[in-house]
Amino acid sequence: MAVKVLILEDNPVARSFLCRVVRESFSDTITITEAGDLEAARRHISLTGGAQGLHGADPYKLILVDLELPDGNGMELLTELGHYPATKIVTTLYSDDDHLFPALQCGADGYLLKEDRFEVLVEELQKIVRGQPPLSPAIARRLLTHFRHGTPGDNHAGDSGFMPASTLTTSKPVPLEKPPDHERLTPRESEVLTYLSKGFTIKEIASLMGIKWFTVNDHIKSIYKKLNVSSRAEAAVLASKQGLV
Amino acid sequence: MSASAPPPDLSSTSVPSRPGPGDSAFDASAFEAGPDPDRPSTWIGWRRRALVVAALLGCLAAFSLARWLAAAPQLDSAWQAGPGGQLVLAHSALPALQVHQGQALQAIQANDGPVTPIDARILHRALRWQPDEVARAAQVAQQQAWSRALGSGEMRLRFENGSTVEQTPAPRGYGGLGLLFGLLMSLALLVYLLGVELALARPQASSLLFLTMALCQASHLAIVALETAPGPGLNTAAWMASLPWRVALDLATAAAALQASMLAPRRLPHAGLVSAAGWAVLPAWLVLAQAGAPGPMGELGAVGPLWWWGQLACLAVAAAALAAISHSYRLESNPYARVVHRFAVLAMATFVTATGAVAWTAGLPGLGARVAEGAAVGWAIVFAMILLQVPSMGRSRQLLREFALLAGISTVATALDLLFVAVFSLGSTTSLTLSVFIALALYAGARQWVVSHLLGGSMLTTERTFDQLYRAARAVQAEPARYPAVLGALLRELFEPLEVVRVEWVPVRARIVGNGAALVVPLRSSDDDATQAGALALRFANRGQRLFTADDARLADRVVDQLRRAVAYDRAVERGRAEERLRIAQDLHDDIGARLLTLMYQAPSREMEDYIRHTLQDLKTLTRGLAASEHRLSHAAAEWKSDLTQRLAAAHATLSWSFEYDRDLLLSVVQWSALTRVLRELVSNALYHGHATHIAVNFALEGGALSLQVADDGEGVDPLSWAHGLGLGGVRKRVKLLGGRVAWRENHPAGIVCAVRLPDFSGRY
Repeated sequence: MAVKVLILEDNPVARSFLCRVVRESFSDTITITEAGDLEAARRHISLTGGAQGLHGADPYKLILVDLELPDGNGMELLTELGHYPATKIVTTLYSDDDHLFPALQCGADGYLLKEDRFEVLVEELQKIVRGQPPLSPAIARRLLTHFRHGTPGDNHAGDSGFMPASTLTTSKPVPLEKPPDHERLTPRESEVLTYLSKGFTIKEIASLMGIKWFTVNDHIKSIYKKLNVSSRAEAAVLASKQGLV
Repeated sequence: MSASAPPPDLSSTSVPSRPGPGDSAFDASAFEAGPDPDRPSTWIGWRRRALVVAALLGCLAAFSLARWLAAAPQLDSAWQAGPGGQLVLAHSALPALQVHQGQALQAIQANDGPVTPIDARILHRALRWQPDEVARAAQVAQQQAWSRALGSGEMRLRFENGSTVEQTPAPRGYGGLGLLFGLLMSLALLVYLLGVELALARPQASSLLFLTMALCQASHLAIVALETAPGPGLNTAAWMASLPWRVALDLATAAAALQASMLAPRRLPHAGLVSAAGWAVLPAWLVLAQAGAPGPMGELGAVGPLWWWGQLACLAVAAAALAAISHSYRLESNPYARVVHRFAVLAMATFVTATGAVAWTAGLPGLGARVAEGAAVGWAIVFAMILLQVPSMGRSRQLLREFALLAGISTVATALDLLFVAVFSLGSTTSLTLSVFIALALYAGARQWVVSHLLGGSMLTTERTFDQLYRAARAVQAEPARYPAVLGALLRELFEPLEVVRVEWVPVRARIVGNGAALVVPLRSSDDDATQAGALALRFANRGQRLFTADDARLADRVVDQLRRAVAYDRAVERGRAEERLRIAQDLHDDIGARLLTLMYQAPSREMEDYIRHTLQDLKTLTRGLAASEHRLSHAAAEWKSDLTQRLAAAHATLSWSFEYDRDLLLSVVQWSALTRVLRELVSNALYHGHATHIAVNFALEGGALSLQVADDGEGVDPLSWAHGLGLGGVRKRVKLLGGRVAWRENHPAGIVCAVRLPDFSGRY
């Protein structure tokens, strides 16, 4: 059975480029549905059982969403697809955290920068589907701040490119809600996050903390889970079961 | 007489000088204790009614006096002293008297009464200021005789040429009271009302002492007012004419002042004893006056000239009060004591001058009376004004200043006028004109001095104030978080208080408390700012030499407003700038970025694609720089490292990264974007031209100088021969923009090292 992929991208050239990336990334038979705007994407999704994906129809396994679209922002769709059992990836030209962080909060499992080289994109896409979450230093700083203070407006991290998320996007700002008590970070997770915010790679963190690479990765996943960023872990499991990877 | 007056508030001015937030004297209740007209709560109920009743009584008394005086019969005539001490008719509106104009009066006779000889001594009205016992007795006797004659219905006047005029006196009428009478009576009422008001507002020791002084001086003023009614024949009551009583009024005032200065602004040791001694002078004086009363014809009593004893007693008590207030100031630099001290000196100087002038001119027939009357009126007015000022010293510096000038200058003018008449025998018009001119000249000259000195220390010059305000505003703009510190420093420089403490109690606007001892300035930097609750309390302006006034409070408010405006303005400008940058960035990013992306996907060759990718990345860096306002160096470095790691991994190269800094700077947009692009360009060069497999990046910020070294193991050789295209040219340009140098050399064993050095990195923007 072919793996179904939805690509939401308004630029046809970019769309065909992303199709190539997807086809290159996975060995399975792939059926790609292309959509040029949010409305078309919604139509396609409802054909496969709606945003909740509960009808048992054959759902999409992978959805690539552009942020800036003619009829709205891709984050709207991400929010609607909160429980849709697919790996959702933002493909964008915006690499600043003020776009990416809200996107992650809306349920994106990762993001791809459209201007990256073909090989880079393929590699990144594989990593995301395999379950290695993206975490830039600035985002790590924001997560730290988020878990410490629980307020989105805190500028203590003073990260580069800080500004309210609403200013660059057409969608509503996505407020970070105060995490409930049971979702505090463990000291280990906090440490990982701190290293990440200082620009250390996962490999470096592993050697600094004297733990295995995948343990660090687990910590990152756990952090994401606490953030309620995604049901990505399940999605990843699902994806591998489906033979997507 | 008195040398000082009680401050109306003991509790709030005698706060301990211990600083710190725990200073209990600075809690809200202490601040609330000040007399404050805009707090109606103290005025509800019986106090208000009592005040109204007192005011009505006072007005009634004043009006009865005026009515009695207006109804008293009077001969419409003006008299002056002759060269031999006789009483000469100056002029009269009555036809029967007009013919005798210029003639001296010998005696008067009531309708059926005895003949009383009359001389110029009857012109001497100010009984309190008559040093000569004999003359005082004579003038009282003559006044009473004249008054009896007037009251008998038909009055006979015998002139020196022997002719006798019979004249029926007519009531004086309100018009005949004279301007001065009205003025002095109003002043008396004012002093009386102020005393009552204070006593009712806060019935405590100091207020009661002030009331005592006010009552004594109000009576004095009323008597002086009566004495100024034109024409001889004032039917003065016996006690009014008696020197012991008049001096007793002044003595009581002085004793009250002494006690007040013992109690406030701080209680001095042995306050009770000293006060009691002060009050004991009063009965002592009365006993002395009884014992030394002059005989029926004015011969000296057992103790000699009584008037001198009285003056001496007044001066002694006043000097004690002055000493007390000086001592109090030495113990605690409360500016209240300082100001009161100045007033006391002023009052004493006036009293001594008046005494001296009266004593000196006592023997001169015409002049003596004029000087005595001037002294009586002058002293009464000056002291009444001082009394009026004392409770409200903190209110208006302007008023105080003008009053001080006015009092001083009019004293000088009067003195000069008298001097010219006495010494140079000038005509009265000439002397008056001359003295007014000299007084005006003095006013012009003395104004500056008085302005800067009388109330203690000068304010800063306008120029310096402006300068400091400007600096403070700039400082706040640069770092809004430092607003409280900046405000505190600015207020400290403006007012030079002895101490500045942070208090919890927050007034809406700047307020004066403790009767001018302290100024409380709210701290809020904006209306919706809840984080900086609290206020600054400044105590003892100008190192304890000056009282805070309402002007100071207004100035403080303005300063706060200005600083707040500076903050708000700066925020608005910054917001506007950020919005503008964002808009530009968004436009650039969305339009140009999308086109470049399309172009990149369709690039015919790998080189072209990379070239466009770099352009796109530069564009993104640029727009991010535009959109962001600040970058911390450590954060930027983290981003750089993360970015490089990813890129090198994609190109299958390794990165060794070292980053050291002694200070975590905030990078400006220019610095951030320049460094980002330089780094990217250098790494791109190494990767795509040098085909490097390992790149070492060394960052170091040390003592404000930043050095960046990018070393690769690629194929590049002989960097001096390179043609600097767009890429390397851009690196040079950006490094130059940051004020630094860049150099390439060969690496060992292979590759290229590029060293960038920015010597003045932390100081530049």
